[in-house]
Order: sequence, then structure tokens, then C-alpha cells
Amino acid sequence: MSLYSTAVKKPVTTALIFVAVVIIGLFALSRLSIDLLPKIDMNMIMVMTSYPGTSAADIEMNVSKPLENTLNSVANLKNITSQSRENISVITLEFEYGSDTDVATNDVRDKLEMVKAYLPDGAESPVIFKFGTDDIPILMLSVTAEESTNALYKILDDKVANPLARINGVGAVSISGTPTRELQVYCDPYKLEAYGQTIESISAVIAQENRNTPGGVIDIGSNTYSLRVQGEFTQVNQLLELVIGSREGKTVYLRDVAYVQDHVEERTQETYNNGVRGGMIIIQKQSGANSVEIAEKVYEKLPEIQASLPSDVELGIIMDSSENIVHTIDTLVETVLVTFLIVMLVVLAFLRRWRATFIIVLTIPISLIASFAYLMGSGNTLNIVSMSSLSIAIGMVVDDAIVVLENITKHIERGSTPRQAAIHATNEVGLAVMASTLTILAVFLPFTVITSGIAGIMFRQLGWIVTIVISVSLISALTLTPMMCSQMLRLNPKKGRLYAFFFTPVEKALNRLDTAYSQFVDWAVRHRKTVITGALVVFAASLLLLPSIKTEFFPTQDNARIGINIELPVGTRQDITRDLASRIDEAFRRKYPEIEISNYTEGQANTDNTFAQLSNSGTHIIEFNISLYSVGERREKSGAERKLTEICEFMRQDLEAYPEIIRFEVLAGGGGGMMGGEASVDVEIYGFDFSQTDFVANEVAQRLREHPSVSQVTISREDYIPEYQVDFDREKLAVNGLNITTASTYMRNRINGAVASLYREDGDEYNIRVRYAPEFRQSLEDIENIVIYNNAGQGVRVREVGQVVERMTPPTIERKNRERIITVSAIAAEGAALSDVVNVANAEMKTMDIPPEIGWQLAGSYQDQQETFTDLTVLMLLILILVFIVMAAQFESLVDPFVIMFSVPFAFVGVLLGLSVTQTPLGVMALIGLIMLIGIVVKNGIVLIDYIILCRERGMSIITSCVAAGKSRLRPVLMTSLSTVLGMLPLALGRGEGSEMWHAMGMTVAWGLSISTLITLIIVPVIYCVFAANGVKRRRRKLKKSRLGMNYNAN
Amino acid sequence: MKAILITFNQAYYDAILSLMDRRAIRGYTYWEDVQGRGSQTGEPHYGTHAWPTKNAAIFVVVESGKVADFLDALHKLDIQTEAQGLRAFVWDVEQFI
Repeated sequence: MSLYSTAVKKPVTTALIFVAVVIIGLFALSRLSIDLLPKIDMNMIMVMTSYPGTSAADIEMNVSKPLENTLNSVANLKNITSQSRENISVITLEFEYGSDTDVATNDVRDKLEMVKAYLPDGAESPVIFKFGTDDIPILMLSVTAEESTNALYKILDDKVANPLARINGVGAVSISGTPTRELQVYCDPYKLEAYGQTIESISAVIAQENRNTPGGVIDIGSNTYSLRVQGEFTQVNQLLELVIGSREGKTVYLRDVAYVQDHVEERTQETYNNGVRGGMIIIQKQSGANSVEIAEKVYEKLPEIQASLPSDVELGIIMDSSENIVHTIDTLVETVLVTFLIVMLVVLAFLRRWRATFIIVLTIPISLIASFAYLMGSGNTLNIVSMSSLSIAIGMVVDDAIVVLENITKHIERGSTPRQAAIHATNEVGLAVMASTLTILAVFLPFTVITSGIAGIMFRQLGWIVTIVISVSLISALTLTPMMCSQMLRLNPKKGRLYAFFFTPVEKALNRLDTAYSQFVDWAVRHRKTVITGALVVFAASLLLLPSIKTEFFPTQDNARIGINIELPVGTRQDITRDLASRIDEAFRRKYPEIEISNYTEGQANTDNTFAQLSNSGTHIIEFNISLYSVGERREKSGAERKLTEICEFMRQDLEAYPEIIRFEVLAGGGGGMMGGEASVDVEIYGFDFSQTDFVANEVAQRLREHPSVSQVTISREDYIPEYQVDFDREKLAVNGLNITTASTYMRNRINGAVASLYREDGDEYNIRVRYAPEFRQSLEDIENIVIYNNAGQGVRVREVGQVVERMTPPTIERKNRERIITVSAIAAEGAALSDVVNVANAEMKTMDIPPEIGWQLAGSYQDQQETFTDLTVLMLLILILVFIVMAAQFESLVDPFVIMFSVPFAFVGVLLGLSVTQTPLGVMALIGLIMLIGIVVKNGIVLIDYIILCRERGMSIITSCVAAGKSRLRPVLMTSLSTVLGMLPLALGRGEGSEMWHAMGMTVAWGLSISTLITLIIVPVIYCVFAANGVKRRRRKLKKSRLGMNYNAN
Repeated sequence: MKAILITFNQAYYDAILSLMDRRAIRGYTYWEDVQGRGSQTGEPHYGTHAWPTKNAAIFVVVESGKVADFLDALHKLDIQTEAQGLRAFVWDVEQFI
């Protein structure tokens, strides 16, 4: 018994099977977590090797180079870049997307083992460090405080960071911008000298005095007691009373040579939120944890935490990555619902029956919900890609059910009972339905095998979801739809007045359309040359649009976040930086009401702040983290509605006006993301000689800046950094019984200070730092006057054994693929596309006079775009061939699929027209839309040709067949096309968060399918006529020949 | 005793069977898949791409008195939905075991 007759005969089983599918799907949905993107495996491994005391150039020669040479042979390696800085070499290995990082890490480890013996003796073992998307902070909290500022670190550490870190899934919680308490022992160098004391001796005394020692156990009488000495300081002023030595028979106390300050660290990063000083708490998640869930739990906990804090400390939120995720997914859910409604209306308008519409629309939720089970089974999440795939699929899942239902209705109208009609009618169209579904699968299944690049991650899921949804809809169309029809459809149902009111005009319009169309086809097939020439002209004309179309990679997404890096000249004092930062902050907040929170940080980061270590910090660096109101609520909350890229553009102009800024970078999207940020073209300049490459890079940057299509140009190599160095004379040192190590340690202890011991209070430890008081380390003379003691106790001043000189240290040496490199990156200005910048860069590079030993190439988003476009073009060819094979198998003919393929070029015509009318650049998403179109447009052709062939088999002439088929198939073609086109509109026109991503794709499919459907309806019958007529002529000739041959034989 | 051969569109099967049951016609022989076309206007029933419908055939032997009523009922069924196609042919049964 066939599938459909079983289904019709066992309605209970059939219904319950689908109920089970829906229940499993809903169960899966309740377990699915929400995320922005499908899980992206890390594809970066860092190898860090430190070699203390070496310059950047030495590190490059002795560490980076040998490591690069060995690591270069690791499998699947895409790029190897290195940064050689003073004391450390950082090598970054970038692997192809989709390669297994665990295997890669092992390979890297093996290679490192091999090369270790060749590294210099002083170099430490290389350390492997993996960096992935999980390390990007998911939540940043702002903390503002007034009276409690100095104690803020301890308050936050105890009351905020610790409770938050206990939340399941939270990785690291770091506090930045709050000063840490430190006990400073400030010494007076003159008094030290007079009393014969040194920083070292004082440190030693403090260390020895501040100690608890267990003395063992002692038996007294019948008891055992333990013996202890409690020497640790319990109060800060105990330090002052320490005896540090004696001079001429008198005791010298610490208070004689120094004063103690119980204060905060001298140099700290300072953070301001909306102009108020405070701190920042950065929350990172554990690898694989769910951002939205964590953020929810953090929010739950916050009121409780806030209540436990002193009244002047207030917590706020600077950045919440989950907000963007939730908004984006909400927008998509809305899109899916709107699409569902539109498709339902289209079906209702064409069928004009409530029951039939219900049966067809029922396949949508069933097939969509079934895909949730796949998502859970494969460990995926509800994300942009999976939700949009659903939205794309909605318009297509009803097609099969429509064809089946239409045929069943026809049978019922001819007098079958619904039950019999359901079985026989499904039997008739089952094969055709399966074949046309196979063509869609031929398009989407290949998506699941793309493995390379970012496109692989994006579209593998799209491929699977559409494949699954369409397969489920096919099964449902062959079982559930006939079953429902047999139960619900009635012959000639009674039509109410409401029905007549709504549908009589629709019916009349459709009838007129049918007649007009069949008349036009009748004319067209009799004027084949005119029609084909006309089509060719349309096609050629659309090709003329090609030069005006720009290309891009991915569109910039408005996630309402801006990151700004500002650098002042190296060595700018913190107060000057602070002053500038507050001026910029104020100006920005006044000028851009869209800003919700503006957070900035300046100053040198503490070494134990893991998050701050990932980025650059220094007294001359200001970092802004700005969040705008999200797209949806920007207008109502701020009264202004500028786009993210627009605001960034204005900010760049603003920053340009500050003369003290030597370099700045405004990053839309806050950086950190691989997609959705602003597109950049990197000009990579390869060459060994610093001055030559510097010159070329500056020249390129200069020229690029002058173009209106380029908004921001940055050069990767930093400037030479001025610093003071002390050159010791080894001979003089030796004469005084000293060496470099002793001398430099003395210097370090006086300026940077020596951590003598730890002061314990309430379970926390604070450094006790001994150093010169601030007023004695303010000039070069102060350094020169430092006294260094040798083992014999004789003191000698720094100026006697060396001299202090100012030098410029070379910057970090960057290398890529084993060559020195300097990168000039240019960001496209508002309104300009990636291809504009590429053209400008290419043109400028060609006119420039570049020395022959310097090479260059374009990279950045441009390179990614090129790679992805190549992948997708190959995929498109593959899909074209597959679709052809599927159709050829269905028709058992090579000519018919060839005729149907004529609708594909006209899809391109529609796409080209759409891109140029809406001024959308051709990016990856538009290209994906184009590929999807191949499968969608041939479906129309299949429906038409299938029926033409049927008519011919029934004995009609070629031309009559074409006209009859056209008239009969116009409605199904229009219905399926309209449901797909209108189903794409919410994606194409959506304005919510994250919608930028899908605009191009929705637009491409809508335009391509509309134009292609209109032209297919004319051109396919016409071309079929041409081929069929030729076939008939050929057969006649053959027949004639064989008859002639027979006559000849007979003679 | 008369023999009746009914050839009809598969979709009629249930209806014909119930007509027989109502007239207490018990014995019959049934071919599920048969092909054919009508002599004048009847569409072909080939089960092919062009003519996807199929016929079935029922062979019944009944007492002569029941024939007229049964044929009448079949004719009514045919007239209701002419496009489907239903024909019945009657001849004598000379002997049987």
C-alpha cells in the first residue's frame, strides 16, 4: 500500500504522528538557547615566547624567525603573523575555518618541542594561548561612587565580583578603573644617606618584622600547647616605629627617614561613566556558556548586590551583548510571523476557501517546528542564521501542499468522494511534487558541504534547516495534506455573503488575468523571433547595469556600539590625557543625544587585570566604549535617529579637530566581531627596511585620506617611542665592585619601588611598597644622584658609573607569512562600498613609485570577500549542474531541462535591476540569494513544461499545448511565486536590529523571482515551441530517410 | 443468472460496493488496476503522465431479477459525475458450478 493511501485510511495514526513531531519540536524549542551567531570554532592560536632583555630586532631574528619557519608547516595554516616587541615574541597562527583546533594545537606543540633546542639559551619556553570568541566580554557594568572611591576596589571585589563569579557559566570577572589600596613607604634619599640606610635594607627589615612564625608545641603539665610568634603588623602606624638600624649609638626608626601613606597605587587606570568617575566590571563567560542566560542571571542578582553596597556606589550597565542578541532574535521572530501571515493571505486569495487554506497553512508550523528538533540534536542555537532560514523556508514549504490540494480539489469537483480523491489525486502528482522538491534540495544540500571560510559557518546551518524543513513539508504534503483533505473538503461548499463580498472581485480579476495571459502566450508563440529578440535585448540591457553595481563583503550591522581608541603623543602625562578625555566625552554627549552610556578609560592598566591586558594601555591612551540607544528605540529615547555608521563618521570629523591627538580609530560595532563591523581594505606592504616601508605606508595613507570614499586610515606600525636609558660603564662598575644587575636593581627599587611585604587586613593583602618619595623622583638629576652600594658598603652615584640618555626605541616589528609587514587599513566612508575603496587603493598603488624590493597586496575584508565569492561561484556552478541533473531525470530528457534553464538568466536580470534600483552593493548575502534563486525559479519552469508535455501527450498540437498549459498553470505559478516573493519582503524591508544582514538577500530573491517569473511565463513556452518544432522536423526527416532507405532496399 | 462487468474510475469503488451491499449482492471479482478509454467522449484512464487516472473492474453474477434495479442505480451514479466514467455490461450465464 502506498504512503498516501495508508495516511488517508489511518487518519488517527497520521494525525498523531504529526502531533508527536510538533511536540518533540516544541520540547526542543524550550531547551534551545539563544545566541547571535552559530558557534564559531576558534581558528587562532597564539605562541608567546619571552626572552628578557632583548630588543625587538633581536627577538625577531632569534625567536620569531626560527619559530615561524618551523610552525609554517603545520597543516591547514592560513596565515602566520608575528609581533616582535622588546622582551617578547607573539606569533599568531590563523587556521582555515572549520579546521580542528585541538589537532592544530597538538601539531603546534609538537613543532615547538622540535624547535625549542634552537632557541637562544635565555629564551623561555614558548607558551601556547588560544583566543576565541568566548573571550569577548559579554557584559560590562559601570560603577560610580563618590565618597567610597578609594575603597572601591575592595567593595567591588567582595560584594560584586565574587557573587557574580559564583554564577554558573560566568568565567572571569575583572574590575578595572578602580584604584587598589597600597601602603607606600616614601623615603627621603638624603636622610637615608645620612643614616646609612638603603631602600633594600628597609625592605628587608619590613619583610623580617612582618611575620607570624609557629614555634612548635610544648607540653606543660598534662596539656600540650602550641607556641607562636604573632609579628605581623596589625596597624599601619606600627610601620613607623620599626627600628631599622642604629647610627652612632642611637636607634634609627623608620619614621626618621620615611613617611608612610595608606593610600592607593600611584598609577592606575581611571574609568568614567557618563562623566562620573567610577569603575568598570567586565564579565567574560566560560567557554561554551550561553550569553543570554548568564546576562539574565546577572540581572537577577544585581538588585540584591546593589542593596548590599554603600549608598553612594551605584551599578549600571555599559554594554550588554545579550541585549543585542535578544533584540535581533525578537526582530526575526516578528519577521517569521509576518511572513506566515502574508503567505496565508496569498493562499487564501488564490484558493478562496477557508478549509483549504487551513490545510495548506498547517504545513508551515509543522515543518518549521520539526527543524527545532534538528537544532537541538546538533547542539545548535536559535540564532540569526537559523531564524532567517526559517523565514526563507516559509514561502517554499506551502508549494507542495498547494499542488496536492489543487489536484484533490479537481478530483472532488469531478465527482470523487473526498476520500478516494485524496488517494488518487495524490498518487497522480506525487512524483512531480517529489521532483520539484528535489530541485530545491539540489540547491540547499550543497550549502551543507561548504566548509571553508566564514560562509561555511553561516550557510551550513541555512542549508540543513531549509533541507529539513522542505523534506518535512514534502512528507506532510504527501500524507497529512491528503488525510486532512479527505476529512475536511466538501464538494461545492455553501458560499456566504461575506465570501461573495471578498472574493468575487478577486475571482473576476483572476479570470481576466487568465484570459489576457493565454491570449498573450498565443501571440508570443506565433511571433517567436520577436519575443526571443526582445528577451535578449532585455538581458543585454541589464548587463549594462553591471559596471554601476558595487560590491561588499558583509553589511555593517547597527548593534549600537562604538569603540574609540585615541592616542596622544607617547609619554603624555595622565592629567593632560584625563582633561582631554573629559572634554571629548562632554562634547560627544552634547552633540549626540543617541548616546546612552559613554564610558572611557585612560591610564596604565594594572598587571593583574586580565581584560585590560588584552588591549593596549598607557598614560597617553584613551579608550571609549559608547553604547547608543538600540535601533528600535533610538528615535523615541533620543529624538534623533542617525545610523551607527553616520555617527561614527561625524565622530571621526570631530576627533580630527583636536591637534593633540596623534592617532585615533573609531570602530563601528565596538570591534571584536568578525562580521558586521565596518568593511576595511588593508594595504599590506612587505619589505625589510623600516624607513622604506614607513615611507611607502605614510604615502599610501596620505593619498587614501584624500579620497571622499575613504573615511579612516590607520597605519599598523607605531612610532618610535622616546625613553630614558641609563648606559652603565661596565669598567667603572667593575672597579666599584658592581655589575649591571645590581646597579639596575638599585635603580628600579628607588623609582618603581620594592614590594617589601604584604599587609594583611580582613583577609585581604595589600602591598607594602618602599620607594623614594614622589618629590625625589621628578628629574634626571634625581636619577643620576641615586647611590648604589657595593658589597663593601661603599656608595657610588649613578652619574659616576654611567649616564642617562634619551633614546628612541624601535616599535614592534610585525611580520606576516615570514616577511616584515606594515598594514595601512582604510574604512569605507558612509555611502561608499568596499569596491570603491578597493578601486581607489588599486589606482593609488599603481601610480605610486614603489621601490622594487617592496611588495604589496590588498587584504582585510577585501581578501575575505574575494575568497568567499570564489567559493560561492564554484558552489553556484555545482548547483546549476545538480539542478539540471534532477530535472533531466524527471523529464527523462535533455532538452526540456535546458528550456527550463532559460529562466535562470532572467533571475539575474531581476537581481541586477534590484541591486541598481535600490543602490545595494553586491555582497555575500546577495550572492546567496542569487544561488537560492536558481532552485526557486526553475520550479516555475518545471510546472509549466510538465503541463505542456502532458497536453502534448494528450494529443494537442505544440502551440495549443503551450496556450492551454499557460492558462491552466498560471495560477499555481503565480501563487507559489507570490508566496515566496511576499514571504521575502519582511526580510528585505525589516528595520529591526540585525536586519541589515538580510536586506540584500531578501531583496535579491524578491526582485529576481518577480522578474524571472514574469519573463519565464512568456519565454519558456516560446523556447519550448522552438525546440519542440525542431524535434518534430528532425523526426520527420529521419522518418523520410528511413522510408527512402526502405524503398532503396526494396528495390 | 446474469453476469455484469462494471468498469469504472477507481474512485467509484467504495460507492459501487455499497450499492451491491444494499442489494445483497455478495459475490464478486475485482481487478484493481485496469486501463481503457470510452468509446465516444470518455477520457482515457492509463495511469500515465498524461492520463493519470486508472480504472478498476468488478465482475458480478446476480439473479436476473436484481439486474434492472442494480443497473439503474449504477446509471444514476454515472450521471451524477459523468466525467469520471462508469460502464456496465450484462450477459447471460449459461452454467456454473
